[in-house]
Amino acid sequence: MSRMFDIVFSSTIETLEMVLFSTVFSVIIGLPLGIILQITDTEEHGGLRPIPVVNSILSRLVNILRSFPFIILIILLMPLSRIILGTAIGTEATIVPLSIAAAPFVARIVESALKEIDPGVIQAARAMGSTDFQIIRKVMIPEAMPSLVSGVTLTIINLIGYSAMAGALGGGGLGDLAIRYGYQRFNPSYMVAAVVVILVMVELIQVIGNRISNHLIAKR
Amino acid sequence: MEIKLKHLRRNYGALHAVDDVSLNIPSNTVFGIIGRSGAGKSTLVRLISMLERPDEGEVYYDDRRVDNLEKDELIKARRRIGMIFQNFNLFASRNAAENIAYPMEICGMDKKVIKKRTDELLELVGLEGRGNAPISTLSGGQKQRVAIARALAVNPDILFCDEATSALDPQTTRSILSLIKEIQKKMNLTVVMITHQMEVVRDSCDYVAVLDSGRIVEEGKVADVFANPSSPTTKDFLSNLASAHDSVVRWSKDGGRYTLRFRGSKTDAPILSTVSNETGAIFNIRAAGIQNVNGEELGVMVCDIGPDKETEERAVSSLMAMGIIVEEEK
Repeated sequence: MSRMFDIVFSSTIETLEMVLFSTVFSVIIGLPLGIILQITDTEEHGGLRPIPVVNSILSRLVNILRSFPFIILIILLMPLSRIILGTAIGTEATIVPLSIAAAPFVARIVESALKEIDPGVIQAARAMGSTDFQIIRKVMIPEAMPSLVSGVTLTIINLIGYSAMAGALGGGGLGDLAIRYGYQRFNPSYMVAAVVVILVMVELIQVIGNRISNHLIAKR
Repeated sequence: MEIKLKHLRRNYGALHAVDDVSLNIPSNTVFGIIGRSGAGKSTLVRLISMLERPDEGEVYYDDRRVDNLEKDELIKARRRIGMIFQNFNLFASRNAAENIAYPMEICGMDKKVIKKRTDELLELVGLEGRGNAPISTLSGGQKQRVAIARALAVNPDILFCDEATSALDPQTTRSILSLIKEIQKKMNLTVVMITHQMEVVRDSCDYVAVLDSGRIVEEGKVADVFANPSSPTTKDFLSNLASAHDSVVRWSKDGGRYTLRFRGSKTDAPILSTVSNETGAIFNIRAAGIQNVNGEELGVMVCDIGPDKETEERAVSSLMAMGIIVEEEK
């Protein structure tokens, strides 16, 4: 029993590690990407500095990455993991495809959160003599914060799912545990344990995310 | 600061939103620009306030041309003007004080200075102690007061009010207008007030320009324009005002071919009796009252004149000779 606990525990840690780092990296990549997508959009869609060429190239890139089946993306990105981390296998190596798969998702979430902002508010900031950078940092991001928090919550939950898939391809974590111990070694108790831990994790993230988002709205 | 517009033009495709507008907005005045929705008011204010560039024409603040400024110059110039809006456009992510602090923050002012100035401004607009209030907890009037304080934070030379009272009830509108007038005098501001409500022009403006289909159809001192409107658009605005305003009492729904307007001291003189004695005309008064137009009294009377065509004409010319403005409904 305690052996099972140890195995489930270390798999959980691996999953948390994958999800945490890939969330951080996907936000680091996706947030600026989403901001660029929004500010280069046409003026009717609230673009601060419309650049149609940049917008359509980025938009297409994001769509392509998003429509890629994740399992194929992992295999395609193995060389990249090898360049960055020196290995294509293991928990750390999985963070690379996870981050790259989630980044375009984050970008779209950021873009749509920024689009929801009342254009009048941005016009006011502009009329007061804000630079574009000030509008982004001091107006757009704070105004969109509740939606951004919900978006990141959603991203984390998606990443928990993706990480289970990545685990099956040598990344470790709860997905790996469920397949190797639960499925291949006919050990349903491991399968159940892995699924329960994932469900609890998702539920916790959702509750915490909602709390933060609601708290931000309530302060307004 | 004086504002000069020279032959401004702005098209959206085939639509001439602003069509050859030239205007002088004198320094230290409240200048109203009135027009129906779609008349081009919003476009015009965006052109004057450097939010949009004209296709043709020039905008001058005093003697400085501002419609063609680039990047840094443009941002600097925008920091010298204030603007308030119909929907207030306050930042929901900031409380009242933080909203007021925003324009000072972006200029990189010292935090202590900002704090002190924010408190002064809250007091100026009658919201002392409400700095920590989230925007959603404020009423419409209070929101507009915060917006006014925010617009004034950097001591602007010009305040643009874009339909600033259109979302407010009449009583709140009056209090906001009197606040704007009070501040205008205190800070020597040039206020440009865009509106579709003649009441706003009447209660607060010194000058007015009437906009229709992107063109200025009439302009002048408010008292002059109210007393002697020349364009159909202006007359239309004024007739809505007369019937809407409670100091003009109408006791007969029918008739009322003539509208007489009396200015200043003439509101006291027994003009009708004099004309009646001279010409033998009979006046059938349908509606009458006195309007207070930005501090000047203006008498309005809607009536029919009898008994016959000839007497009617003589009475009209006699009235006009006495300086009464006579409008005939055709």
